[in-house]
Amino acid sequence: MEQPGTTTPLTGAVRELATQVVSALTSGGHSPMSAHTPVTVGDDELGLAAVRVLGADVLLPAVLHRTLPAPADLAVCEKAVLAYPPGPDASPASRWSHWAMVRTLADLGAPTAHTSFENPEPDAAWLEDLPWQGLAHQLALLAALAVPGADSAVAGIARRRTVDVARGFVRAVRRRGWLQAAATGRWLTLLDDVPDTLGLDAGLAFVALMGGDDPRVALHLQAARPVLPGAAAGRT
Amino acid sequence: MTPAATRLVHTVGVGALEWLHAHRDGFRLEPDPPPDTGFLERFKPVGELAVICKVLFREGVAGSRQADLARRLLDHAWREVLDGGRMLVRGQRTEPLSPIPFEVYVPFRELGYSQPELEDAIRLNHRLDSWAGLEVLPVRRLGLGAFERRFGLAPSLPQEEAFGRTWLARSPEPWTVDTRVGYDITHTIFHLTDWGENPGGLPAAVTEHLRLWLPVWLDDWLDLERWDLLGELLVVDACLPDPTLDAAAWEGFAAAQQADGAMPALGPMPDGDPDDVFDVVYHSTLVAAFASVLATSRALARLTAEASA
Repeated sequence: MEQPGTTTPLTGAVRELATQVVSALTSGGHSPMSAHTPVTVGDDELGLAAVRVLGADVLLPAVLHRTLPAPADLAVCEKAVLAYPPGPDASPASRWSHWAMVRTLADLGAPTAHTSFENPEPDAAWLEDLPWQGLAHQLALLAALAVPGADSAVAGIARRRTVDVARGFVRAVRRRGWLQAAATGRWLTLLDDVPDTLGLDAGLAFVALMGGDDPRVALHLQAARPVLPGAAAGRT
Repeated sequence: MTPAATRLVHTVGVGALEWLHAHRDGFRLEPDPPPDTGFLERFKPVGELAVICKVLFREGVAGSRQADLARRLLDHAWREVLDGGRMLVRGQRTEPLSPIPFEVYVPFRELGYSQPELEDAIRLNHRLDSWAGLEVLPVRRLGLGAFERRFGLAPSLPQEEAFGRTWLARSPEPWTVDTRVGYDITHTIFHLTDWGENPGGLPAAVTEHLRLWLPVWLDDWLDLERWDLLGELLVVDACLPDPTLDAAAWEGFAAAQQADGAMPALGPMPDGDPDDVFDVVYHSTLVAAFASVLATSRALARLTAEASA
């Protein structure tokens, strides 16, 4: 986790990219026939690193709005996937992050991803046995998988352990970990049987009030928005 | 809970009671208090001691040494500190409408101690609209009702209505809990269950709320090293129909206890004037004894149930 007050070039690039994604998400759906304005700023090393940090969320506006992604974004994401496949020592979270990006590219019709990758789901069994604190932490890292209608073994575990995810949300809010709070809250908006007493709707508003200045927090909150109660009709 | 874990929980209580007995002179009144504090200020620890000793006798899981220490502590508190109850009468005469002498007296009375003159004052107070109208926090009103019931008086406010005014009655958003709300939660549970005697006294919605969210609060106050509130939350856990007896919380709590049995209230053990140190840590040490007795009792009950299943 980044320390407050320290800004590395990567941190700045990630913030900038997240800001662009949030802007695209909040600007609403474009015509299905016209592509989004690009959110990525370049395919140099820093640009690709920032894409890897946000993962499939870079393409989230096109996924949620069911529009065409900007060709430039597709190209940068494909380049990131090709340039940085997970190594043999990669953490499960980074394997899943890579998997999600490849799947999203394929779903959006990116030719290379669609034809060049066999993309079996990574192992998710390691999540099953984590205590609720660890589960919530890992799911927060994997929040790019929390997309309406996009199933995965990780989403299956989140569904089976809804109360534990909800506990993780409470823990994160209590500790003012707004990024984890927004990310676990994003998962919860996809899950049935979230305890009413959690107060998720107000909780997400609280996270927005307290931590919404961080564009990465805002990104998760925007991702959570379409399926908040009252807006769930379009959920697949 | 494994035998080793049960032993750990039990050991916390043994140490705590040894410390409380060794430092019993810390339970002291202030005969000539400064005007801004008042004579009744120092009664609260004595009442809390009586409540916890009563739990210890009730649960019957204390060894003979523990039971003996508890009895000697109570006798000391009644005879030496309260002067056979006469200090309670003096307190009542100093502040006639204060509920403090009543709250301190009830557990002593249940343990067989008696002060008839105070009881007359209690009965008179109970007739007053002023007593029922006393503006206290909702959780304290709930507690006063429980003490009235245990004393044999009609609660000034029916329990259901008193409970309905508490924070916990609304099953609120669990992420809003702070330290102050935490203590409101624990005391609501203490009063609803008569200090763990009656886990069935909890409304179903409360049981469910705590089943869902108590694990988060235990985890949080363990990490914050707020041992006093963590101890009370461990009591709450042991008051539930199906306690978690959370291993991590108990291990952290036990590790915070000092070799002589004292439990710091927050972070490391303070140092300084012995009376000042007592005032800071007596409550967390009492809570440690309380949590230990209840959790040991629940663990043994579970063991018995498993053995006979």
